[in-house]
Amino acid sequence: MNWFGFGFNGFGQIVPRRKGEKDEDTAKVLSPVALGSLCSSCEGKTRFDPKKQTETSEHTIKVVASWSQRAAVYRDGDPHVCMSGFISGPDEEHTGLAPESKGCVDALISERYLTLSFADRVECWSLKPTGNALVWSGVNGVQDTSDTGPIATLPLVPGGYIASKPPFYRPLSPELHAVSLALGSEHAVLLTSSGTVYSWGSGSHGQLGHGSLVSEDEPQVLEALWGVPMKYVAAGGWHSACISAGGDLYVWGWNESGQIGLPSKGLKDQSQRAPSTEKGELVVNKREDNVFISIQAFPALVDVPEVSEISKVSCGSRHTASITSSGNLYTWGWGHYGQLGHGSKCSSDEPKVVEYFSNGGMTVEDVVCGLWNTFVCATPRKRSPL
Amino acid sequence: MAEVWRDVRALLPAAQPEFPLVFSEAVEASVLALLELSREQLYRASDPRAETAQAIVDYAWEKLNTGTWRDVDKEWRRVYSYGCLFKVVGMCNGDASQAKIQAAISTCDMGLLMGASIMDNVLQRLVAVLKNKVKMQLPSKAEDQPCPKKLKRNVTPELQIDAAVSVPRVKCPALESFRSDFLVPQKPVILEGIIEHWPAFREHMWSIDYLRVVAGCRTVPVELGSRYTDEEWSQKLLTVNEFIDRYIMDEAAAGLGYLAQHQLFDQVPELKEDIRIPDYCCLGEGDEDDITINAWFGPGGTVSPLHQDPQQNFLAQVVGKKYIRLYSLEQTENLYPYQSQLLHNTSQVDVENPDVVQFPNFMKASYQECVLQPGEVLFIPKQHWHYVRSLQLSFSVSFWWS
Repeated sequence: MNWFGFGFNGFGQIVPRRKGEKDEDTAKVLSPVALGSLCSSCEGKTRFDPKKQTETSEHTIKVVASWSQRAAVYRDGDPHVCMSGFISGPDEEHTGLAPESKGCVDALISERYLTLSFADRVECWSLKPTGNALVWSGVNGVQDTSDTGPIATLPLVPGGYIASKPPFYRPLSPELHAVSLALGSEHAVLLTSSGTVYSWGSGSHGQLGHGSLVSEDEPQVLEALWGVPMKYVAAGGWHSACISAGGDLYVWGWNESGQIGLPSKGLKDQSQRAPSTEKGELVVNKREDNVFISIQAFPALVDVPEVSEISKVSCGSRHTASITSSGNLYTWGWGHYGQLGHGSKCSSDEPKVVEYFSNGGMTVEDVVCGLWNTFVCATPRKRSPL
Repeated sequence: MAEVWRDVRALLPAAQPEFPLVFSEAVEASVLALLELSREQLYRASDPRAETAQAIVDYAWEKLNTGTWRDVDKEWRRVYSYGCLFKVVGMCNGDASQAKIQAAISTCDMGLLMGASIMDNVLQRLVAVLKNKVKMQLPSKAEDQPCPKKLKRNVTPELQIDAAVSVPRVKCPALESFRSDFLVPQKPVILEGIIEHWPAFREHMWSIDYLRVVAGCRTVPVELGSRYTDEEWSQKLLTVNEFIDRYIMDEAAAGLGYLAQHQLFDQVPELKEDIRIPDYCCLGEGDEDDITINAWFGPGGTVSPLHQDPQQNFLAQVVGKKYIRLYSLEQTENLYPYQSQLLHNTSQVDVENPDVVQFPNFMKASYQECVLQPGEVLFIPKQHWHYVRSLQLSFSVSFWWS
């Protein structure tokens, strides 16, 4: 197993919390830890089956997360979903197989709903203390037969997408040729087969990237990126990101905690408050005063130092994580719960490498941000032939 | 400081069963679980901790910032307040230092500013207890005393108000004559002699020192920048003491700060005792509870750009003087309101320095003006355009009524 997690662990969604432990000890995981038991019910199989130790098996597990839960999606052999974290049942069990997920190929999780994609159907389950309840289902797999690719990844489904709250199914124009869709807390960012980016939903914090704070009901093309083909999109609480075909990273939206990777006034104020209580003199650099960015309403190119190409990006509620083509993980934004993985609770408005992986001889292959935490798939770095 | 803990604890229900946590479906089960955990920690003899409470505060804060403010489910404001409550109790546990008490008061204020009233306004009651534990830090050295000369800086040469356009003044008019002469025809007027009995002018004469005593440790929203239409304008939360130190006492203040349009009197009940709702408000159809009372406190030079409000307004001047320009609703076409939804009630014209090329018709607009003195009340009819600039340290109280 090569999945790791760090950040908010208030419900034991990263590592189980023992009863009677002090809050502070385990509610925040400040440095990456291996997700030892992704699934208690199939633990034996995954851990001891030598065939599962091959490299391909790592890619058959996908992790998705909500604020209080983390779900591992097993996609081959005996497909199913295992959940960890807040279980709204009466028992104290922190990890368990979601019985309704047997046979599923993809899953999404929000604070209230679990969305499961099967070969022939999509189901939305309401997560309830009294037992999960099926609240919506639709037909899946109405694929164009000429398309030999896999079934579209959630939240995309044939003809539309599944939202995180009712109405679950929302149609998308077939003319968009959507290949991937990222859902933020109140907005959506879509990538088309030609590499064009569209966004819609709430624009209150510039998260749509159209240069204004206006909301849009329908997908609007991101004109600022016109002519630059994109290959990857992501969306967070109030910010968005995309990666160009050439590996450049663009981010836009609210920079409240530095999640855009631009100078944040909020962070500066925080760092000033600490010394000021000790009667330290405030040093205000007048030169820098005007360069703070609160809201970045157009896509901004993020400069990750000494990195030429970005391959993946994921956005949490107020933080951002990206993988470079050389397999390093960089994080920035809100760090109060340890979600940046730098071993501290500090926020950062500039991308910083997560040394746990780079110094530990690991190549990062996938990253998925929960709201206040981050999940990472990494493998031991192969020795270069020279 | 074990007594802090004891006094704080005394404000809470004696036992867990008397402390209900009831929320609507809008609040997810996971959040409720954290709230219940926080409550349990409170009653577990060991020690309540701020971390669980902080997660509640952080999660509710994100909900409060999702979607437009008025569409946010009120339940999240309640959750936010409970989070603040649990956080404050955790802070007061054990050895509560002065810094911790100040932080606890600030946390209560965040709950009061962004949350909803819970448990018979427990956050307000907590502040009342905590305030008594704060050691007063009044300036002791003579040179630190706010000397009147210092506070009257920024006084511009006495403004000459043209008698032909000056707002009329009346002294203590009868209710009926105010109604027929000014309210019904919607004419501005300065009312004299109707607020001089306020404690704010007498036994609790408002001054910098007095504000420090009753509200110094309270957190308030402050507008930074010369006017809210400016690009550089922003809002910041500061304590009243910090605001006074940085933006009123500091001669070399980096910029203008204005404690503007804040319902300070709901937050600080002691200050509400010092003012009275003008009797003339009874001429409105609304209930007394519907009257919005705002504080406007700042140094000389603060500007409220030309704008209109949807309600009748009594602007009561308590400290200092303000220059005010008024344009009636009929002049709107000459005032160039902003086009955007957010600022459509605000004129683009800088009233005292108009760009006559960009806004040629502005000079055609007829207006009235005045310098409002301490003890005077300006009646600004509903939707009447008004521009306000403080001429010196100023504290005004506005009453919006219908």
